[in-house]
Amino acid sequence: MRRTNWLAALLIAPLLLLILGSFVVPVGLTLFRAVADREVAAALPETSALLASWDGQGLPPEGAFAAVARELAAALEERRIGDLAQRMNFESTGLRTLLLRTARAGDRLRAPYADALVALDARWGQRDTWLMLQRASGPTTSLYLLRALDLTRTPDGTVTQVAVEEKLFRTLFLRTLWVSLLVTFLCLLLAYPVAYTIARLRAPWSSVALTLVLIPFWSSVLVRTTAWYVLLQREGPVNDALLGLGLLDAPAQILGTRIAVVVALVHVLLPFAILPMHSVMTRLDATYLRAAASLGANGVQRFLRVWLPLSLPGVAAGGAMVFLLAVGMYTAPALIGGDRDQMVTWFIANFMTRDVNWGMAAALSAYLLAMSGAVIALTRLLTGGAVQTGARA
Amino acid sequence: MTDALVRFRGVSKSYDGRTPVVTDLDLDVSRGEFLTLLGPSGSGKTTTLMMLAGFEDPSAGSIELDGVRIDTVPPHRRGIGVVFQNYALFPHMTVAENLAFPLSIRRLKREEIATRTRRALEMVRLPGFGDRRPQQLSGGQQQRVALARALIFAPKLVLLDEPLGALDKQLREELQAEIRRIHAQLGVTMVYVTHDQAEALTLSDRIAVFNEGRIQQLGTAEAVYERPANPFVAGFIGESNRLAARVLDATLLRLEDGSTLEAMPHAFAPGTAVLVSIRPERVLLGPGTQGLANATTARVEEVVYLGDHSRLRLAHAGRTDFVVKLPRQEAVPQPGSLVDLAIPVAAVAVFPA
Amino acid sequence: MREHPLARVLLRGATGLVLAFLVAPMLAVVVLSFSPTELMVLPPRGFSLRWYEDFLTAGRWVLATRNSFVVAIATTLLATLLGTAAAIGLQLGRFRGKALLVTLLTLPMVTPYIVTAASMYFAYALVGLTGSLPGLVLGHTVVAVPFVVMAVLATLQTFDANLLRAAASLGAPPTAAILRVVVPNIWPGIAAGAVFAFATSLDEFVITLFLAGPGQFTLPRQMYASVREFLTPTILAAATLLFLCSLVFLLASESLRLRSARKTLP
Ligand SMILES: Nc1ncnc2c1ncn2[C@@H]1O[C@H](COP(=O)(O)OP(=O)(O)O)[C@@H](O)[C@H]1O
Ligand SMILES: [Mg+2]
Repeated sequence: MRRTNWLAALLIAPLLLLILGSFVVPVGLTLFRAVADREVAAALPETSALLASWDGQGLPPEGAFAAVARELAAALEERRIGDLAQRMNFESTGLRTLLLRTARAGDRLRAPYADALVALDARWGQRDTWLMLQRASGPTTSLYLLRALDLTRTPDGTVTQVAVEEKLFRTLFLRTLWVSLLVTFLCLLLAYPVAYTIARLRAPWSSVALTLVLIPFWSSVLVRTTAWYVLLQREGPVNDALLGLGLLDAPAQILGTRIAVVVALVHVLLPFAILPMHSVMTRLDATYLRAAASLGANGVQRFLRVWLPLSLPGVAAGGAMVFLLAVGMYTAPALIGGDRDQMVTWFIANFMTRDVNWGMAAALSAYLLAMSGAVIALTRLLTGGAVQTGARA
Repeated sequence: MTDALVRFRGVSKSYDGRTPVVTDLDLDVSRGEFLTLLGPSGSGKTTTLMMLAGFEDPSAGSIELDGVRIDTVPPHRRGIGVVFQNYALFPHMTVAENLAFPLSIRRLKREEIATRTRRALEMVRLPGFGDRRPQQLSGGQQQRVALARALIFAPKLVLLDEPLGALDKQLREELQAEIRRIHAQLGVTMVYVTHDQAEALTLSDRIAVFNEGRIQQLGTAEAVYERPANPFVAGFIGESNRLAARVLDATLLRLEDGSTLEAMPHAFAPGTAVLVSIRPERVLLGPGTQGLANATTARVEEVVYLGDHSRLRLAHAGRTDFVVKLPRQEAVPQPGSLVDLAIPVAAVAVFPA
Repeated sequence: MREHPLARVLLRGATGLVLAFLVAPMLAVVVLSFSPTELMVLPPRGFSLRWYEDFLTAGRWVLATRNSFVVAIATTLLATLLGTAAAIGLQLGRFRGKALLVTLLTLPMVTPYIVTAASMYFAYALVGLTGSLPGLVLGHTVVAVPFVVMAVLATLQTFDANLLRAAASLGAPPTAAILRVVVPNIWPGIAAGAVFAFATSLDEFVITLFLAGPGQFTLPRQMYASVREFLTPTILAAATLLFLCSLVFLLASESLRLRSARKTLP
C-alpha cells in the first residue's frame, strides 16, 4: 500500500502546490500585511536603529536628529519617501507635511541638528513625534487591526477610541453584519415553503419548479445584478409599475438605497438557501409523516414535531451558505448600493485600488475572514459537520 | 512439503496497529491444490487473501510465491487471478472487453486475444455473450465471466473470495460443480474463501479453518469433520452437542448431571475439567441400542421435520437441548415420549475445557 | 399525507410568487434586450435586433467575449485536470488527515472572493503575474477547482474500489488502471466538474477586476464597466447571451446528474 500512497501523493501534489502557492500563501501574506510595518525601517534605517535604544524620556540624542535629517533628504532624492509619508500620516494626520518639509530642507540644515530641526518645525521638539517614529519602526504593528475597529494608540501607546469624526469601521462591520443577517433571514423565510412545496409536488411539477430555482442558480451574479439595476432605475419598469398602480406620485430613487441592495442580494442568494433545504427534504421519507399520523399526530403536530426537526440541517446549511456569500459579496452591493451605504468588501476594494492603503485592506480582510471562519465553525458545530458548504457566486 | 507454491511464514496483520486481524500465520499452499479458507465472518480470511494478492501489506512475516518473496512485488506484477465476491466486472466494458483486458495489458496480438476470449467464454459455457454488458447478465452469468477473466491470462494461482456468496442455493451448487470441473481441467492452484462449511467440504482438497485470525486446523475435509482439533472446529463444521464433564479415569467421564460417559482412551488426568462434543447424527436411537456403550433413555422435548431427516431435541445429561438426527425411514417418536439411545465411544470427542 | 386545503393553497401560492420573483428579472432582461429604442420599458414597444448587432460589431464586446472564452477554456482544462487527479489521489490514498486536505483544497470555495482577489493581487504582483493571461487563468483556476474536486469525489463515492483491485490483479499498472477503469466509470462527475469550472470562470468578476490588466476585459468586467458608465440595451444583449450560456450549463449539468444517478442504480 505504500506504493499506492506514493501514487496518491503524486496525483494530489500538483493541485496542492497550486492551492498553496496561489491561494494559501497569498492569503497568508495578506494576513501578515495586516500587522507588517516596514515603511519607516526601510526609509530611515539608521534613525530606526538609534530610536530603538532610546528610552523614550525627554528627546532622543543629537545623533537621531542628524540621522533623520540626512535619511529624509536621501529618501526624497531617491523618490522613496511616498510610502513613509503615507504611513506616518496614517499614524497622525499632518506628519506627511512635516516629513516632506524636513526632507526638502535637507542640505540647508547644519549641526547641531536638534536645534536646526526644531527651528524648522516645532514638532521636532515634541516627544510625541519621536515616540510615533519609534513605534512605527516595526517590524509589526497593531495599528491597522486597531483602526479597523475604530481604535488607535496615543503616542505613549495606550489604546483609545479614534475621534468621533473618524469613526467608521464599527458602523461598517455592524452594517455588513446586519444586512447579511437580514438577507439570510429573508432567504430562509422565503426558501422554506418553496423547498417544502417542491419536495411534496408530484413528478413533472417538482422538476419544473426545481428548474425554475436552478435557472437563477446557474446564471451569472453580474447578469442578475444588472437585471435589478435595469428594473430599479428611475425610469425603469419597477418605478413604472408603482406609478401605474398609484402607489407613487413621482418616480422614486430606488437604486442606491439599502432596500435595493437587500432585494438584489435576496434574489442572488435565494437559490443557495432553497437547494440545500430541498436536498434534505426530498430525502425525508413521507412514511415518517404517515407513521406520525398513525400515532395520532394532527397536521400541525406532524409538521412541528417530525418534519421541521428533520429538515433543520438543510436550513442550517442554507443559512450558513447565504450568510457566507452575503458578507463576502462585492458585485451586487457595489453596483446597486449607494456609496455611503457600502459593505466591508467595498472598503477592501477601495483601500486596495483608490487609497492604496494595503495595510487597511489587509486588516479588513483579516476580520472578514475571521467572520466567515466563525460562521463555518459554528455551522459545523451545530450540524455535527454533516453539512457541506460551498457554492458558486 | 517441498512443492509449495505459496508459503506464509509468521504473517501478521493489523489495520490500525492495535487490533490483530491475522496473527502469526504459517501456511503452505501446494501446487495444483484446491485450498479453502473457512471461518466465520471477520476471522481474517479476506485479509489473508488480499495480502497474497498484494492489496494489503502484512504487518509482519513473509509471503513467498514459487520460492520468491513477493512482499515488494506490486499486485499487477504478481500474476495472480482474483475473483471478487461482487464480481468486480468493469461496467463500462462488454463481457468480451472484460476478458480481453488482461490480454491487451500484456500486449497480445489482436487475433490471439479474440481466440482466447472465445475459448474462455466456451469454457464457462457462455458462448455468444461477448457483446453483452455485465449489467445485462444474471448473477450466475456474471460470476462465470469473473471466473473466466481471472483464468484467461493463465495465472498459476487463482484466489476466490466468497465468489458464490450472493447466489441462491441451487445456482451455488451448479457453480460449485463448474469450479471443480475447471480446477480439474486446468490443474491451476486455487485458494478459495468461504464461510459456508458445506461449500468448503464439497470443493476442497484441504481446508484451513480460521477463527480470530488464526488457523485452528488445516487438513482434508474428512479430517476436519471427523477429527476436529478443538471445540471451535467441532462446533463450526457440522453440528455438535457440547457437554461439560470431568475426567474420572482413562476412558470414563462424569457429566454435570452426575451420569457417566465412556469415551475412547484419552490422556487427560483424572479430575480435569473437559469439554465433550458429540455429533447429532452419530447418536444411535431405538430399542436395539440398549446394551451398547453409553446406553440410556431420554424424553423427547421437540421434533422438527426436515424432509430427509428429523431433528429431535432431547432432555439428556441434565439439559434439554441435546440434539440427535433421525434418518427418514425410522418411525418418528412423539414429543413427551421416551426414546432409547446410545452414544458410541468413538463419537465422543474430548477437548480441554 | 396531505396538508389542510387552505395551507396547501397558501403554500403553493407563496411558492409560485417566489419562483416568479426568481425568474422575472431574467425574463425582463431578455425582453428588454429586443427593445427597438434606448428606452427600457415594459411592455416592449416593438422588436429589434439592433442591440445584438451592436454587440457583435462593437470591438470591445467582441474582444471581451473572446477573452472570456479563452480564459474559461484554459481554466476549465487546468482545473479539470488538476482537480480530477487530486480527487482520485484522495480516494486512492490511505493516510491520516484526508478530511483536512479536502478542506484545504476546497477552501477557496468558502473564502470571500474579495479577500482571495486582494491576496492574489498582492502576491501575484511580487512575481509579475498581474495583468497577464496566465495570472488570470491561475486566479480563476483557484476558485473553480474546488467544484471539480467536490464533483469528482462525489462520483468516486459510488465507484467500487474492487474494480481497481480487479484491474491490478489482471496485470494493469496503476496508471493504466486509472485511465482505463477509473476515468471511464466516473466521467459524468468529471464532466459535471468541468461544466462548473467553466461556468465559474465565465461568471467570475471580482478576481478579474484585480488581476486583469488594463486591456484585459472579460464579459463580466465589460458589463460592469458599461453599467457604471452608461446603461444601453447592448448590455442587456450581452446579459441575455450570458444567460443563454447558463441555460446550457444547467441542461448539461442536469443531464450529467441523471446519467450518473442511472449509473449508480443496480
Ligand atoms: N480495510 C480495513 N480496514 C480496517 N479494518 C478492516 C479492513 N478490512 C477488514 N477489517 C477488519 O478485519 C477483520 C477481518 O476482516 P476480514 O479479513 O474481511 O474477515 P473475513 O473475510 O474473514 O470476514 C474484521 O474485524 C474487519 O472489520
Ligand atoms: Mg471476507
